[in-house]
Amino acid sequence: MGGVARALLRRAVQAALVVILVSALCFTLVRILPGDQALRIAEGRYGYDRVTAAAADAVRAELGLDRPAIEQFAAWVGRLARGDLGASLVTGERVVAEVAYQLGHSLMLALAALAIALVIGPILGLFAGLRPGGVVDQAGMVGAAALRAMPVFALGIGLMLVFGVALGWLPVAGFHEAENIILPALALGLGLAAASARVARDATVAVTSAPFFRFALLRGLTRAQAVWQHVPRNAAVPVLAYLGVQLALLVEGVVVVESLFGWPGIGHALSHAIAARDVPMLQGTALSLGLIFVALNAATDLAMIALDPRRR
Amino acid sequence: MTPALTIEDLHAHAGDAVLLRGVSLAVVPGVPLTILGETGSGKTLVAEAAMGTLAPELAASGRVALGGAVSEAGAPDARRGLWGRGIALLPQEPWLALDPTQRVLAQVAEGHRFIRGLAASEARARAREDLAALGLADAVRRYPHQLSGGMAQRVAVAAARAGGAPLLLADEPTKGLDADLRDAVVALLRGALEAGGALLCITHDIAVARALGGEIMVMLRGEVVERGPTAQVLGAPRHAYTRRLLAAEPQAWAERARPVPGAEVLSATGLAAERGGRRLFAGLDLAVGAGEWVAVTGPSGCGKTTLGNILLGLLQPVAGAVRRRGGLARTRYQKLYQDPVATFAPRLDLRTALAEAARLHAVPWAQVAAMLDRLRVADALLDRRPDQVSGGELQRIAIARALLPDPVFLFADEPTSRLDPITQQETMEVLRDVSAERGLAVLLVTHDQAMARKVAGRQLVLPGP
Repeated sequence: MGGVARALLRRAVQAALVVILVSALCFTLVRILPGDQALRIAEGRYGYDRVTAAAADAVRAELGLDRPAIEQFAAWVGRLARGDLGASLVTGERVVAEVAYQLGHSLMLALAALAIALVIGPILGLFAGLRPGGVVDQAGMVGAAALRAMPVFALGIGLMLVFGVALGWLPVAGFHEAENIILPALALGLGLAAASARVARDATVAVTSAPFFRFALLRGLTRAQAVWQHVPRNAAVPVLAYLGVQLALLVEGVVVVESLFGWPGIGHALSHAIAARDVPMLQGTALSLGLIFVALNAATDLAMIALDPRRR
Repeated sequence: MTPALTIEDLHAHAGDAVLLRGVSLAVVPGVPLTILGETGSGKTLVAEAAMGTLAPELAASGRVALGGAVSEAGAPDARRGLWGRGIALLPQEPWLALDPTQRVLAQVAEGHRFIRGLAASEARARAREDLAALGLADAVRRYPHQLSGGMAQRVAVAAARAGGAPLLLADEPTKGLDADLRDAVVALLRGALEAGGALLCITHDIAVARALGGEIMVMLRGEVVERGPTAQVLGAPRHAYTRRLLAAEPQAWAERARPVPGAEVLSATGLAAERGGRRLFAGLDLAVGAGEWVAVTGPSGCGKTTLGNILLGLLQPVAGAVRRRGGLARTRYQKLYQDPVATFAPRLDLRTALAEAARLHAVPWAQVAAMLDRLRVADALLDRRPDQVSGGELQRIAIARALLPDPVFLFADEPTSRLDPITQQETMEVLRDVSAERGLAVLLVTHDQAMARKVAGRQLVLPGP
């Protein structure tokens, strides 16, 4: 299986690059953000109203923030190489432990969103593509364009207003009940579903006008038989390829949606870490998001190889 | 014997243009019927009428009797229920007619399962037998991209016939195939006949008609101009058009004096080339003189095109060197491609395309116009796009374009393989005239042995894998 080994090797190299670039970028960005890092950390620990310049100085000394930047970075890279992401500057918890807890929630949300995207999108696209210009096609594609054009935060607030406030069917925040995941997963998954519906629609049109589909009909298969035998697998190849590109949106959306719905995942932790200038947490969460992106892409690659024998 | 297919008094027209005029035929089991004609003769419309897939905007009349039922020729879907059961269509370019994501066995088994209604396991067993009978027992688990052109052709035959249709309809079954594969396809079609089937074959290739034997119909502009036993029609043609078609076969071309090679324009020593790590040829020496014709022949994939591209400097050889005559611009070494459509910008009218090339080579338009006139390209054609003229017209325009920089060497890569026989002959005549006048050396890649023998001063045969 040369194709599988090649794909995994490529993604492993990408993962290594993600680790190096993300950690360096996080470290630099925090340093050039306006405001005093030590003061922000002290605020995080003691509260806005009780923080003093003395407390900030104490934090600076304790965490070695007054050492040269290059020295701090070298120390962090040295720990990273041993698998140690350090401790949160605010809570003092190990970053690995915090991230491990959040990772589960984020993965659950991401997979739920992907499931929604893969159930709604390709099926809608298939039916739209089987009758180009028909009712399903026109209505579905207008809906898909609208959903696709809407920013994730606007879609999330819209869902909250409709299902949480007006109808009162679903909770707008929280994470202890199963129903809590529905709205954030929809907010995240509908945009992806819209994009994959478009691709699935075009792929279906392309497959049903391909010579091999025509040949299946001429051999005597009914249209339904020919569609069932030849369309799904052939149309799935471009849908998956495009999904791989779309995964960047998923990772980006996780940050927005988790903050919006108070979902205790990595994206939520990332935005908190930025506000608190909690460099180890920022690096840990950004790294995790980057690696999730690479892992999902590797899974996409493997699925493509399984679907399309020409890639093996 | 009861005919498997009868077509009576088939007419079709699109607006004022009459496309078919009173075509009648009967195909009986065991005797192949070949319809011979060039592009635009209406022969493919006859096949579509038999299947019942004529475009609805063609007003068609006539009757088709198939599988014991008579229906109107133009009625949409009238014979839809007989596809695969009563009539099987062999696709053109079978490598495109197979699902790229499905194994060969599954594609053949579909016919047994969905048309004959067998259980899945039984259908697979039958498909395995079909493929084994065609010498494909080892290929059942392959995907289409792992098949050669000839294997894909056999799989397509097995898939088309799996539903059990007694009548096989083959529309240009040898399109795009070299001579060896063409013979294999003819053998395959004959095999179907010997198993008790009926065969209607539509082709522009006289060699296919001759090899199939049986009965033949010659079509011209929507009409049958001559019909009868194949041996008799091809041996003693009565209609002027049939005689013209036969005269267009390369072996029947008039002998011309072979040009005496002039000063050397190009030489190569010790050439070697590889493709995908596989050695194509090695230690090849070649020298071409002005006005000389060298034919390069050999089986598909033996590196004929690669050799030409190396001589032009488009590819680097693995070993050896090419020497072109000193003091000449690179553009004096030109290439004529197999598929002219692919060499023109699709949305640009031909006049603009030619004018740009003329400007590039600083050739006055009057000279271009004179060459086009010489090649019998009507001026009005130039206002069309490449897909709006015929293949023969476009290839003649491509020749005019390749001649703009006044080449001393032309690499002609199967320049007529997609043309009808008569157009092929005319195109080759013009090319030979120009070559003789200008001392243009030509390296001709061809699958057609007869043509190579007829036009080339010498032949270079690449051994192949």
